[in-house]
Amino acid sequence: MQLRPRFGLYALVTVSVLVSFLPIIWLILTSLKTTAGIYAWPPQYIPDPFTLDNYINIIQNSPELLIYVWNSFVVGFGTTVFTLVFGSMAGYALSRLGMRRAGILMIFILAVSMFPPVSLIPSLFQNFLQFGLLNTYIGLIIAHTGLFLPFAVWMLASYFATLPVEIEEAARMDGMGTFRIFRSIVIPLSWPGFVATGLIVFIFSWNEFPLALVLMTENAMRTAPVGISLYPGEYAFPWETISTATVIAIIPILMITAIFQKQIVGGLTAGASK
Amino acid sequence: MTEVKLKSIGKSYGAVAAVQQVDLTIKDGEFLVLLGPSGCGKSTTLRMIAGLESITAGDLLIGGKRMNDVDPKNRGVAMVFQNYALYPHKSVFDNMAMALKLQKVAASEIEKRVGTTAEMLGLTEYLGRKPAALSGGQRQRVAIGRAIVRTPDVFLFDEPLSNLDAKLRVKMRMELQELHDRLGVTSVYVTHDQVEAMTLADRIVIMNKGLVTQVGTPREVYDHPVDEFVAGFIGSPAMNFIDLVRNDNGIWKTACCSLALPSLPLDTSRLLSLRLGIRPEHIVVNPDDEKGAFTYQATVKLDELLGADALLNLKVGDVSLLARVGGMDYPVKGDVLKIALPEARMHFFNPETGLAYDRTH
Ligand SMILES: Nc1ncnc2c1ncn2[C@@H]1O[C@H](COP(=O)(O)OP(=O)(O)OP(=O)(O)O)[C@@H](O)[C@H]1O
Ligand SMILES: [Mg+2]
Repeated sequence: MQLRPRFGLYALVTVSVLVSFLPIIWLILTSLKTTAGIYAWPPQYIPDPFTLDNYINIIQNSPELLIYVWNSFVVGFGTTVFTLVFGSMAGYALSRLGMRRAGILMIFILAVSMFPPVSLIPSLFQNFLQFGLLNTYIGLIIAHTGLFLPFAVWMLASYFATLPVEIEEAARMDGMGTFRIFRSIVIPLSWPGFVATGLIVFIFSWNEFPLALVLMTENAMRTAPVGISLYPGEYAFPWETISTATVIAIIPILMITAIFQKQIVGGLTAGASK
Repeated sequence: MTEVKLKSIGKSYGAVAAVQQVDLTIKDGEFLVLLGPSGCGKSTTLRMIAGLESITAGDLLIGGKRMNDVDPKNRGVAMVFQNYALYPHKSVFDNMAMALKLQKVAASEIEKRVGTTAEMLGLTEYLGRKPAALSGGQRQRVAIGRAIVRTPDVFLFDEPLSNLDAKLRVKMRMELQELHDRLGVTSVYVTHDQVEAMTLADRIVIMNKGLVTQVGTPREVYDHPVDEFVAGFIGSPAMNFIDLVRNDNGIWKTACCSLALPSLPLDTSRLLSLRLGIRPEHIVVNPDDEKGAFTYQATVKLDELLGADALLNLKVGDVSLLARVGGMDYPVKGDVLKIALPEARMHFFNPETGLAYDRTH
């Protein structure tokens, strides 16, 4: 009797995992095919012949891929730190300090993030040029921080809202000031929320395309998605190179996600129980 | 000497008045209980004393000093919360030591004070644990300990026992009583449990709708409720109320006459209607002596054994009365019996205003 619903649940999970993983599986399979295999008709589901040539090729001929990945990592890391620092302070102020009109401010913050990033390009480009921020890490980090801060504020504010307010009140009675409470009570208790938010922001930044394309014009400063998509092909798009590079580029993200997976789940489902 | 004085204190959230005009003096060393139904403003009053809620009207004096705008940590008050509000990521020791650390008390002194308090509360062996690894009762003890180590001038409790199961609640209640006897610190205790209020309080403050209805010792509020609200709120099960009108012959009766009282122990010359109150425990079933009482014939509609006591649902004509009798050999459903309503135990209220009539005039 117990088995039936369990079975249904597992089937559902399997299907949804398959649906979300299929593109990645296809990507990995593509990176293991020859050029002929990629263009074969009917399409090959199992690489035939199976080859690691693409990986060897890319490591031998395009060492710049590692630079792209490194750039993405630096920008992603910097963006994550900035958004978490500012996002948590803003989120705490908005959710807990009894600010007037906090609700309206939250909506306003959300509204700002509704602009498509492309619309920001002209103003960002000109100002970055003016201040010498083009082709710098800090430049793209600032741009990405601006882009993803609303998300971080919302995410963290909702996490803070789930903490029992009495703990903070007890801390106030014990003699802590607002900043001290934030630092030594709220942050430690919101750890899962920080990890989840940080990771998602990191991934957003890692994948962000339009701003990275425009603000990083030198090849040596390009981020992974931009660099990979600009791989020159002689006659056609070099799918084998692109898919292989992409697989390499998502490895760091997969690793980080695996490390923090417990906190991410905790952060995303905060307040779901109790 | 730490006396807490609330001078016409009020709190409004915009147009909503959570607490209106509370005047109260909590004497040095007194255990004062704020009692009232949910939403009556007990917590708000307590939190204004604590400094967690701004005071929108009136003055708060602690030890003679005006505290309206003083930071909570400088008011000399410590608070115990309903849900304990311990720091989940810190050990029991650190939870209890936090305030002292923030006051920059020397580590050896902290060690000593936390140690003594932990011993007093039976927490010594748990000092290294995190709150998650404690039972509810132990957590509440830690919360109390956290308040004690600070040696505050005033303790504030907001329903500290309501998250505990009934048995543990009784135990902790007694511990709190002992603790107060030992420390003698001025305490304000919020609860909506009247047993807690009756047993712990030196004086009870009964609040309703943001106002203080009555302040008095447990005896006073039980014996002399100032109005129908207090009369009905204090005592369990609640007081019986019977509406009476005076007929042309000057006799007080229920509207359709099933219960008549020839004379009342108060001056009723100017009254046409009133509400009689009598507590279930004061109705005498099968009386031996009928002096100073009105007697009636009643039918038992329902009997419920509570253990030591039993509750009888009685019908006198069309009037329903709840009576509380001993749990041995009590009348059962269907019995017809005689009951007496002792005159001395009656309360009389104005049916319009709910205020109690003074029996002496
Ligand atoms: N932030 C707020 N904004 C508006 N009204 C509030 C706010 N906080 C409390 N109130 C109102 O103030 C009144 C008193 O609340 P309070 O928490 O003091 O009640 P209480 O007596 O402690 O009740 P309980 O026994 O349920 O804890 C309630 O009617 C409540 O709705
Ligand atoms: Mg309350």
